[in-house]
Amino acid sequence: MADAALFTADLALGLLLGCVFAVIAHGLNLIWGVAKVVNVAHGEFIMLGAYGAYFFNVWFGFNPLLSVPIDAAIGLGVGVIFYFSFLYRELRGKESMGLQSEMVTLVATFGLALVLINVAQTLWTGNNVGIPWSPGVVQIGSLRLPLGGVYVAIMSVAIIALSHVFLTKTYLGNAIRAYSQDIPATQLVGINPTFTAAVGTALGFCITMAGGALLTVWLPTGIFPAMGNLYAPISFVIVVLGGPGKMWGSLVGGLTLGVIINVGQLFVGSVALATAIGFLLLIPVLLLRPEGLLR
Amino acid sequence: MRLRTIRSFGPTLWGLVTFLVVLAATAPWIPVFLLTVLIQLLIFSTLSYSLNLITGLTGYVSFGHVVFMAFGSYALAFGVGTLNLPPVAGVALGAVVGLALALGIGVVTLRFRGVYFAIATLVVAVAALYIVLEIKELGDGQGIILNIGFEPLSWFYTIWVILAAEVIVTYWITHGRIGYGVQSIKSDEDAAKSVGVNAARVKLFLYALSGLFAGGAGGVYAWTASGAFPYQAFNLMFSLQMLAMIVIGGMGTLLGPLIGAVVVYIPSYIFLTVLIGFQFIIIGIVVIIIALFVPEGIVGSLRKYVPELRGFLE
Repeated sequence: MADAALFTADLALGLLLGCVFAVIAHGLNLIWGVAKVVNVAHGEFIMLGAYGAYFFNVWFGFNPLLSVPIDAAIGLGVGVIFYFSFLYRELRGKESMGLQSEMVTLVATFGLALVLINVAQTLWTGNNVGIPWSPGVVQIGSLRLPLGGVYVAIMSVAIIALSHVFLTKTYLGNAIRAYSQDIPATQLVGINPTFTAAVGTALGFCITMAGGALLTVWLPTGIFPAMGNLYAPISFVIVVLGGPGKMWGSLVGGLTLGVIINVGQLFVGSVALATAIGFLLLIPVLLLRPEGLLR
Repeated sequence: MRLRTIRSFGPTLWGLVTFLVVLAATAPWIPVFLLTVLIQLLIFSTLSYSLNLITGLTGYVSFGHVVFMAFGSYALAFGVGTLNLPPVAGVALGAVVGLALALGIGVVTLRFRGVYFAIATLVVAVAALYIVLEIKELGDGQGIILNIGFEPLSWFYTIWVILAAEVIVTYWITHGRIGYGVQSIKSDEDAAKSVGVNAARVKLFLYALSGLFAGGAGGVYAWTASGAFPYQAFNLMFSLQMLAMIVIGGMGTLLGPLIGAVVVYIPSYIFLTVLIGFQFIIIGIVVIIIALFVPEGIVGSLRKYVPELRGFLE
């Protein structure tokens, strides 16, 4: 059995890290829930968000938290472009996404992932970069936590809570949720399906890229073009754990995965094995509770 | 076999067989440099036919196909490096490992449909990389370096045999009795089940076959690369290239994977010397365009828009 203090520290770190994971998965969750499309290039948009934060730091000296709203605004635009170039043709005039369209978008976004990784590699080389920003540590009892991580966790939960408020309390948010449940019925009550789906997708990208910026706080030297290859599977697992289309699901899934990776390494001896275990958790969850951990 | 049965095989299979036989017959006289390019092309063709067996024929998109190739590579490296097997036996071991792995992964993941299957295979592939990194016998994250000679002709004939077997198996599946079951699964799995197609069994059979061939191809790849290295063997780019090949060539067709392999591999080989990464940008753009606008691929579109070709392009 691992040392109790070490266990508490890893649990706390896992929870903090889980909050960031939750945000990056939340963006995917929204797109998945609204447009019924899995964006395979999700990891690459996280990468773009992270590079965004990096360049704002290099050019203007912004810290990652300041870059979050700028990244989010860029994400909105990117999301609209993505919707009209990849999803519009497949979703137009349809009542739901068929298996054929699903495959088309899977393959097309996989192509997009390839393009984005290699454009990034060409423009910014394959070298790791990072943002030298650490606001110090905070001491709670015997527990020392990185202050940056705490800020990030607070912002992460705030972003998820805000998106929840938007989706449940505003007219547009309700329209988006209605669209995700039943497209013909949405049209019957006079909601423009294209506009609604576009806003939903854009919101997903907005949160994804903001998540990419938040993630950089945890990656002092870990921003590189192929980083999406790790964070995309993490997001997929989290969304499936929480249940696609369930907004609090991302938080539950993110915290679960963060804790498994951070606490698991104490028991199995390495981060890599703990990550593998966290990923493979997807299989039993899909088999036993395909609707996710949340009811 | 009667002459009529042989004649009924159709021009596509004849063309493919002739192409392969001509390659095999002329191989000893092909210059070594060209031969190594050809070997890589055949490895990629084998991989693309292998993905075609599951993704092309049944419509189950597998993003993690690289996992079979990687374990095939590791099986060869382990067999040759630790067990002192001859490399050809190592390739066979790789194929068996691929088969066993596909049976294991397939039993579970083939229950999921569409997006869930794609994600499950992707996640399994990433998890497999992290597990391999921790196994001491498999190089402890550093990979296994082999000290075996440069023998392009043996590489060529090994991968040739695998590819030829794969083409024949693909023909048998698309034209034999099982082909009806496979087609019905692709169109509507529930309807297929209700008329008595054992969908789970057919899918697992195809997935296992594709694992077998991908494992063999991975073995040959490790043989040509003199070793297996985790980040190279598990590179998801291989998965993408396989997918790009069958999407561009034409999913579920007999000729498509080979055309796709030529169309994707040869330009990427030429671009490789110009600007690294540039070829992937172009492949990616082509995949996006084809997936969105001509989902039938080259062979499918030719069949659709040139009715004269419909009789003999498969």
